[in-house]
Amino acid sequence: MFRWRLLAAAALAVAGLCSAQSDVELGNLQIHGFATQALVATSHNNYLSMDSRNGSLAWTEAALNVNDQVNDRLRAGVQFHYTRLGVFGGDDISVDWALGDYALNQYFGLRAGKVKIRWGLYNDTQDYDPGYMWSLLPETMYAVDWRATDLAQMGAEAYGKVPLGEHLGTMSYSAYYGNYFYSSSDGLMESFKEEGLNFTTPPGGKTPGFDLRWAMPVSGLEVGGSLMMYNATGTLTNGTFNQPTAFWPAYYAQYDFKKFFTSGQYSKVVEYNISNIAGSGPSIDGLDQRAWFAMGGYHLTDKLEAGAYYTHLLDAGHDNSDPDNYFRDWVVSGRYDFNVNFYLKMEGHFIDGNAVGFYTFDNPSGFARRTNAGVVKLGFSF
Amino acid sequence: MKIGTHGLLFMAALSLSSTGLRAQVRVLMIANPGVKAEAVTKKEIRSVFTGASVSLSDGERVKPVLLKEGPAQAAFASDEAEMSQVGLIVCWRNLVFSGQATMPQTFGDEPSVVSYVARTPGALGYISTATPHEGVKVLPVK
Repeated sequence: MFRWRLLAAAALAVAGLCSAQSDVELGNLQIHGFATQALVATSHNNYLSMDSRNGSLAWTEAALNVNDQVNDRLRAGVQFHYTRLGVFGGDDISVDWALGDYALNQYFGLRAGKVKIRWGLYNDTQDYDPGYMWSLLPETMYAVDWRATDLAQMGAEAYGKVPLGEHLGTMSYSAYYGNYFYSSSDGLMESFKEEGLNFTTPPGGKTPGFDLRWAMPVSGLEVGGSLMMYNATGTLTNGTFNQPTAFWPAYYAQYDFKKFFTSGQYSKVVEYNISNIAGSGPSIDGLDQRAWFAMGGYHLTDKLEAGAYYTHLLDAGHDNSDPDNYFRDWVVSGRYDFNVNFYLKMEGHFIDGNAVGFYTFDNPSGFARRTNAGVVKLGFSF
Repeated sequence: MKIGTHGLLFMAALSLSSTGLRAQVRVLMIANPGVKAEAVTKKEIRSVFTGASVSLSDGERVKPVLLKEGPAQAAFASDEAEMSQVGLIVCWRNLVFSGQATMPQTFGDEPSVVSYVARTPGALGYISTATPHEGVKVLPVK
């Protein structure tokens, strides 16, 4: 495990340093990558499957992509991703996306292969750590321990932009349809396991959906909505599993102008998991989760950015006074960019509730209601 | 805790010193002579140079050209694109790492930008006003 982490980090570090502060180009080929290493320390509970109460370095990420812009319209590319988050992820390097992209014009383009899912403000960019100020995006919607399942689908995506005129802005769209599989090694599967559901192979299903966002005439202001649909079937060691189609909408807005940005998002999902265990008949487990966040940040200088966010999730179908059924997190964060390649992040979390991000296996004595967390991350990108 | 505070102050001082250097530089928008537009707006610049659009408002397709770092890059990011120097690069990297685009041509020095823009149809770049720029079209910012 350690060997792979070291190799991945070293390979990307060398590539980054050799690239003279920017991208590597070989003819039409472009090569880019990033790597990050985090230190996470928490009070009370262990968080995100790490031994964080003792201070944990068990969060490493790296990626490398290759793109070939064949001509003005046609592009092909692939990205490999390495994640180790506590006991999740692993030594294997996964294909994050691998696609062919034909852009007929600005109104219409088509991508096919393994394609990132555009959902809400940050789903398609959430595993690119250098792309945002936060060390952890809102866990309520962009769960770092679940994202191996939600990020991409194997199918096709139609996309484009439609200018609405000088006074009405631009409308962007993305519509997709494809297959997906639960990751065999992330928090979603661990949650099933802690509920007593053990799969022989990870379940999977179809995931159609769309995203529509309006860049308004006011510079930097954007509003939009997404809908991801998904179902799944799977085989348990002692029965079958079926998840009828669930609908996961998100509504969002962001304003990004000069040194200031702010954004907010609301989502709701109702999901039913039907397990048919041999000898005990079918049982239905449902959830009705609503979540939202509001965030803002400011560039204090060209290189130093600070911000804060609040996020809240509750399971409306269960007792909301039980910390197992809600999650609230106040976050303060800062990021310093040494240059366009290297950066440092520091972040504090003040968590109430444990509906997401906490696991029984590394909190065997039960959960405390409150947890404070500190995260420091060092990363580079080229 | 003392080390953290001192470190932050040091980083802030470094950042402020680079801001001071930037204030002395002004940039010119340059384009390949074949580009039809006679001027560009800040809105068009922001849109094209953040990857939000591949064309100017009249529909003409253009190819943005970036500088890696330096006073002209900092001045362009702040005054024309209205964002931080790092923020401008991060915009593109978000597109690249999510599988939506490739990085624009990026150069480490301004003469290379002038040379590339002069020979590449549709190219649109920026340089400091002091840099010689024969063979390209200067686009005033409206």
